[in-house]
Order: sequence, then structure tokens, then C-alpha cells
Amino acid sequence: MTHQALIVLPAGVPWVLAALLTFLDGRKRWVGMLGAVGLAASLASLVWLALVVLREGTVETVAGGWPEGVGISLRADALGVTFAAVSVIVVLASLLYEVALGVRWRAFPPLVLLLVAGLNGLFLTGDAFNFYVFFEISMTASFVLAGYREEDYQVRAAFVFAVVNLLGSVVFLIGISALYSITGSLDMAAIASRTDALDPSSVIVVAVVIFSAFCLKLGLFPFHFWLPAVYVGSHPPVAAILSGALANIGSYGLLRFGGGVMPRELALGAVAVMVLGTASIVYGALQAVSRRDTSEVMAYSAIGQVGYILLALGIGGPVGFTAAVLYSVVNSLNKGVVFLAAGLRGPLVGAAFAVGAFSIAGVPPAAGFVGKIAVFKAAIAGGSAVTGAALVALVFLGSALSFLYSFQVYQRRFLAPQDGEKPGPLSARLLVFSLAALLLLLGLWPEPLVYLSQAAAGALAGGSG
Amino acid sequence: MTVYAALVVAVVFASGTFLLLQRDLTRVVVGIILISNSAVLFIISAGLTRGVAPILPLEGEGAGDPLVQAMALTALIIGFGVAALLLAMVYRLYTTHGTVDLEEIAAAEMREAEALERTDDPEREEGPEGEQDPEAGSG
Repeated sequence: MTHQALIVLPAGVPWVLAALLTFLDGRKRWVGMLGAVGLAASLASLVWLALVVLREGTVETVAGGWPEGVGISLRADALGVTFAAVSVIVVLASLLYEVALGVRWRAFPPLVLLLVAGLNGLFLTGDAFNFYVFFEISMTASFVLAGYREEDYQVRAAFVFAVVNLLGSVVFLIGISALYSITGSLDMAAIASRTDALDPSSVIVVAVVIFSAFCLKLGLFPFHFWLPAVYVGSHPPVAAILSGALANIGSYGLLRFGGGVMPRELALGAVAVMVLGTASIVYGALQAVSRRDTSEVMAYSAIGQVGYILLALGIGGPVGFTAAVLYSVVNSLNKGVVFLAAGLRGPLVGAAFAVGAFSIAGVPPAAGFVGKIAVFKAAIAGGSAVTGAALVALVFLGSALSFLYSFQVYQRRFLAPQDGEKPGPLSARLLVFSLAALLLLLGLWPEPLVYLSQAAAGALAGGSG
Repeated sequence: MTVYAALVVAVVFASGTFLLLQRDLTRVVVGIILISNSAVLFIISAGLTRGVAPILPLEGEGAGDPLVQAMALTALIIGFGVAALLLAMVYRLYTTHGTVDLEEIAAAEMREAEALERTDDPEREEGPEGEQDPEAGSG
């Protein structure tokens, strides 16, 4: 019973608090700190939920006490809990960072909380339409956040962001209702078992529609056109939230709908998925090498990094899904560190950025190495020797390029003579540094992360297949 | 019936797409609203069943599908909220740029970027040149 109540907390706490904070002036420091406390409470409940899930398996409940199959089901498995925890960590760091710098909008803390409520809600739901609703809650909050600080270019970027992603949401909604039309259910587990009985030719159309919607959110190569403009213009903590937390919707959705609900269709389209991933890796890395501005480089790097997730997803199977989960987790932490570090100066931040850069390139002491190893393992395990070798070569090339552009940025931004720019408040610098330390810790002691990812992949393969 | 529904959805979606590609930002917003409404129509047509109103106690058999209506309502509300937000953004752009024409706003963007570069350049030249030269040589 307590476990059933626990599943409501990660989304419920920030949601209620967001409603309350709307009436307060978010520019005051204590209001921002109150929001951060709410996020910390949400994170604590997620960790507790994760421990329960890992020990006792999936926690499930139906909202409003309705009988199963009628009400909306909430379901927490290892996959959802992992993604939720990582997203909340990145958002919490970004909120604290902005509070340290000084919040400019009174609505900033409640918007961040609403975004987290939407994210946690969609990670912990077992209902496809409910997924869409929570998804829209967090997207709408992010549309407003993208225009934070209200510089002209930020409002323009926010408009582009809103229009393009709204189109993605509509496409996703159409996919959901098509799924409902062919299976007669909105429960993900029920959809998964019913699509298996259907002719793949009807399901694959829906799968492609949903796939494109999530790729648009992730900013994969053919759908990436909106991404650089938005990430470059955004204020650093907002960029960290968009890239480190909101983009998780895309990778989670691909894993959940591709790996969990329609695994057969994913296997059918594996080659296309891997080709798109490859294109994304190469395009993102090459564009990033050719850019000068820190956030521009990191925006293109984001396009390249999600390519690895898609590659692992295309390889599929327990090894591939584990690699995809692991890489998504590491990637969102990387992005949090580099985007936050990009807004500050000073040796402490320089060290943090270097850790983030090492992690993106996959150099051993940082967590990125664990992610890259997992992708390597998946590449070798999946398919023949020739494709395996080609994939390993590709991942290696991508890593080499990311090493190059990361340290180009490092050199320009942190080694170049400091032209009198203020380094920023010490608390913000310490925060970025501790986030980087977490990345380093996960790289030095990766067992918990690997175990969690394996459990998450296991939830996909066994839970709803 | 399904064919008619499909036709209506197609026409609404196509007109929305046409408007989305216009230069006028208000038209872009209207286009998005049309497209999201075509999705609502799609939801409705996903559950096109003939039957009585699904109110308890059910009389006879074959009630209409209530779930699609609930979904359509939810999607409509979300659509309203987002449309309001988009219109607010367009208004915000109008107050700063004095226009809602996409190309004029893009031109303003270009001017800003150029102005930024022009203010950046002299600083770079005035900066410590001795330290910049070796870097240029090694890079």
C-alpha cells in the first residue's frame, strides 16, 4: 500500500509545489530554494522507489482506485525510475545554479517544477495517453523556459522550438490514437501483447509515426534543424535542462515504445534506425568540429551523442538496450555539466568542463567511458563480424572527433587569457564542480550504474514483451 | 464513414501545413492550431463506433466509445493552452520587432548578429596581441 502511494510522490510533490510557488515571487532567493527543496524531495522519493523496484520488481497502481483495465495505470519499473532520477538530478543542479546567479523571472521556479512534474509523470506511467498528457505538461513548461531572460533571440528561438515541437507532439498524438484504433487499448502492456498478434504491416506505420515524433524531440540528424538555434540562444541552465533532462523524453520514448511496446517492429526497422544513428554521429561531430562558439559546439555535439543511443537501440537485445540506457544516463549528465560550465569561468569550472569533455569523448576516468564501452560491447555482440567491426570503427571515429571538438572548446574558453570576465558566484562554480565530480565517481565506480541499466533493459525485455 | 473522416482529417491537416509554411507568424500559429485540431479529429475517427450514449445503465447493446471523447477533450484543452502561449509569443515578437513577418524578423536577426560581430572584433584586436599570435600559429 505504501509503495502504491510512493509512486505518486515523484510527480506529485513538484506539481503541488509548482501550483503554490506560482503565487510567490520566484526572484526571491528563498522561493527558489523552496523549489529546490521540492525537487530534492522528489529525488529522494525516486531513490526510495528505485530501491523498492530493484528489490521487489515493478510497482503498479491504478489512479483513482478504479479496477484494472478501466483506470489510468501508473507503473514504475527500473527503466522509468532510472530516467526520472537522472533528469531530476540535472534539473535540480540547473535550478540551484540559476538561484545562485539570481533568478530574473518570478515564474522561473514553478515552471521548472512543472517541467519535472511532467517528466516524472511520463516516466512513471503505464498508459500511452497519460504519457502524452504529461509529455505536453513538460513540453509547454519548456516552451516558456526556452524564452527565459527574454532577449530577442531567445524569444525567437522559443517560438521556433514551440512550433516544431508542437508539430512533433501532434504527430505523436496521432500515433497514440492510431495505436488505440488498432489495439483497442491505451495500456502499454496491453498494447504490447496485442500488437504481437497483429499483422506487422499495419503496426509498422504507427511505429514509424511514433519513432519520428521522438526523433524530433531528441534532435536526431534529419530532424535536428531546430536544435542548434534553441540551444545556442538559451541561457546556460535552461540549455542544460533542455538538453540534459527534456531530451530524455526522446530516448526514453524510443526505448519504451520501440523496445517495450513494439519490439518486433523495432527489429524490422533496425537497419534504418542504425543508419540514422550513424548519420547523426557523423553529422553532429563534423558540424561541432567546425563551430567556434561553446554552446554551438555543444548543440551539434548533442546531435551526435544521441546517435550512439539510436545505434545501441538498433542493435537491440538486452546488451543493446543496456547500452542505450547507460549511454542516455551518462549523456544527460555530460550535457548538464558542459552547458552549465559554459556559462561560467575560472579554474574550478575549467576542471568541471574538462571532466565533461572527457566524458563526452569517452576517456577512462569519466563516466562517458562506461557508456562508450557498453556501446562497443553491443556493437560486437550484435550482428556479424563485418557490421560489428564497422560499428566499432564508427564509434571510435565519433569519439575521436568528440575529443577534438571538446578540447578545442576547452582551449578557447578556459585556457585562453581571461579577458576580465567575472568567474561567477562561487556557489554556482562549486555546484558545477560537484556535478562533474559525480560524473567522475560514476566513471570510477560504475557498478551501480551498470546494474541499474541492466535492470532497466531487463524491465523492457521481460516486463511488457 | 472512415473514408469521409480520413478526407476531413487530410484536408484540415493539409491546410494547417500550408499555413504553417507562410511568412506571417499569426498564420503559422493558426496553422499549428489547425494541425492540432486535425489530430483531435483523428482521435475521434479512431473510435468511430455506432451506439447509444455510453451512460450507465446501458440500454441495449453497443454503446459508443467514450474513451475517444475523453481523449479528444484532453487534447483540445492542451491545444488551447499552447495556442494561447504561441499567440503571446507572437505578440511579444511584434512589440519588439514591430512586425510579424518572418523574413523581416530574420533580417533583424542577421543585423543583430552582424552588429555583435562588429563590436566583438575591435576588442579582439585591442587585446593582448602577443599572446594571440603564437596560438594562431600553433592552431
